[in-house]
Amino acid sequence: MRLWLVALHIALVGTNLWVTAHFQEELPEDNEFAEFEDFEEEKPNLGVPDDLVEQFSEAELTDGFEEDDVLVEDGDSEFDHFQDEEEFEGLDATGINAGPKSDEPSTLTITKVPLHLRARWDSFYLEILMVAGLLVYFVNYIAGRSKNCRIAETWLNDHKQLLLDNFSLVGDTGKLNDEVSENGLLKESESQYSLYCSGRVGCESMLIELKLIKRQDLVAVLAQLVRPQNDQVHFNIELPKDDVDTFVLAIAAKRTATHLVRDMADVCVYCPEKRPGEKFGLPVGFYVMSEIAEAASAILDTRVLQAFTKYAPYIDYIHISDQFSGPKQQEDASQLNMPEVKRVLLVGLNINIKGRTSTPEAQEQMRPLLQLTFYLLDKLRRFKLSKEGKNKADKNRLRVEEAFLKTTHAARAEAAAQRREDRRRAEKERILQEEDPDKQRKWEEKEQRRLAKKRAPRMKQLKVKAL
Amino acid sequence: MNNSSDPRRPDKEVRYKPIVSNSQAQPGDDLTPDYMNILGMIFSMCGLMMRLKWCAWVALYCSCISFANSRVSDDTKQILSSFMLSISAVVMSYLQNPQPMSPPWASAMQ
Repeated sequence: MRLWLVALHIALVGTNLWVTAHFQEELPEDNEFAEFEDFEEEKPNLGVPDDLVEQFSEAELTDGFEEDDVLVEDGDSEFDHFQDEEEFEGLDATGINAGPKSDEPSTLTITKVPLHLRARWDSFYLEILMVAGLLVYFVNYIAGRSKNCRIAETWLNDHKQLLLDNFSLVGDTGKLNDEVSENGLLKESESQYSLYCSGRVGCESMLIELKLIKRQDLVAVLAQLVRPQNDQVHFNIELPKDDVDTFVLAIAAKRTATHLVRDMADVCVYCPEKRPGEKFGLPVGFYVMSEIAEAASAILDTRVLQAFTKYAPYIDYIHISDQFSGPKQQEDASQLNMPEVKRVLLVGLNINIKGRTSTPEAQEQMRPLLQLTFYLLDKLRRFKLSKEGKNKADKNRLRVEEAFLKTTHAARAEAAAQRREDRRRAEKERILQEEDPDKQRKWEEKEQRRLAKKRAPRMKQLKVKAL
Repeated sequence: MNNSSDPRRPDKEVRYKPIVSNSQAQPGDDLTPDYMNILGMIFSMCGLMMRLKWCAWVALYCSCISFANSRVSDDTKQILSSFMLSISAVVMSYLQNPQPMSPPWASAMQ
């Protein structure tokens, strides 16, 4: 489908250029032809033989052209012989045929060749440049697309065994008939692939997202020269609801840390403070955002720290949260419920640095990082906060909820009033539709009492005022 | 690191549920194709209405970028229509005036 689009597009642009070029070519011919028709009509006006040889030679230039056309038009008219070339043999000497009037030269000179026709192809240099640019774009598109596809497949091949050892379901596409792709990779766009795994102890599911450089887009490739980016893989692991203790912790490289603190709702609410990683024994350039200190020190044990020092450039972030609700939403006062939260472990890794295709050895080195992810997962399953830590976490969550309720108080009150009003109206309608007048009267009495009660305090106030 | 037992649990499998893509853009989404689509439309309109050839060409480039960045789940009709609009802008502007394009800065230079 896409290839078709490309081919169609190129063909259209090509024909467009061709048409414009030929459109101009035909213009002068048309003019000359029209002129020659005049000339034909005036043929009976013979007998002005001056300067005729010159004129006729002019006419001869378009001879073939005129002959064809006229033969088609009136093949067997009585003037047929005028068009026959053999009939006119030797006539240039007598000059009977060529008998234009004296004003003929002036009409000839009127026909001006437009200026831009002189150097036609040279003057279209911008168009040629544009079409060449489009061609380059599409060549790059096809090349980049296949390269991204290759990178994704290589990554999957390298890690497939490990994934199969850990998950009972690898590469689910959510469709019943799994014939869509044989390796389970889901293509989100030309530069994004994802793989879904499930069926492991300590987690509900793991969604692997390969976010590659947009090699298919020439603009992004050029932007890459200015601001290099990495091919990344993101592991999005959903943890079971009651298995993991409640805390928020994020460890990230500098650029990502800034982004997390600014954009992620849970990090920005529970642990907005960025602490340099050296305090925890991490390599330079990493930052730790931690809600509860004991969790941070427990997660960052010697093994994790070792992995961090060894693979520092390849680790982008690790984000553990029980309150994950995605990026921060816009401030919306009408929102009545707390955003839905999930317990997650998110890990982001760089597959290769600055778009350089890594060697097989480097790929081999990447495998322990996936093992690190599983190690963290198992650790989270076993890790339990101390009593103080748990209390602190619960207090934090309560505080956040209270703050949320406070900000949405007015909106919630309005919504509640609306709901009450709706209920009353529905009830009234129901009563009015009922046949039994006794019931109706009862309801009306009740309603009266209610309204009176509602008015009563005001009455009292009025009385107080009157006193 | 070595798990003593097999960590796999076939009984805990959860089938993949693709994220329901509603018309509203998710916050984490890449918005390049949408922006390029709009830009392409604006430029094609400029190209058609004001007979600016370079606008028509820029529109064509915008739809190319939008096409290259589009998600698989995106509507192909939208991309196709943006292509058609920009191509028609180019074709129309050259049919109306087959002269070669003068760059937008040419008038300023004179």
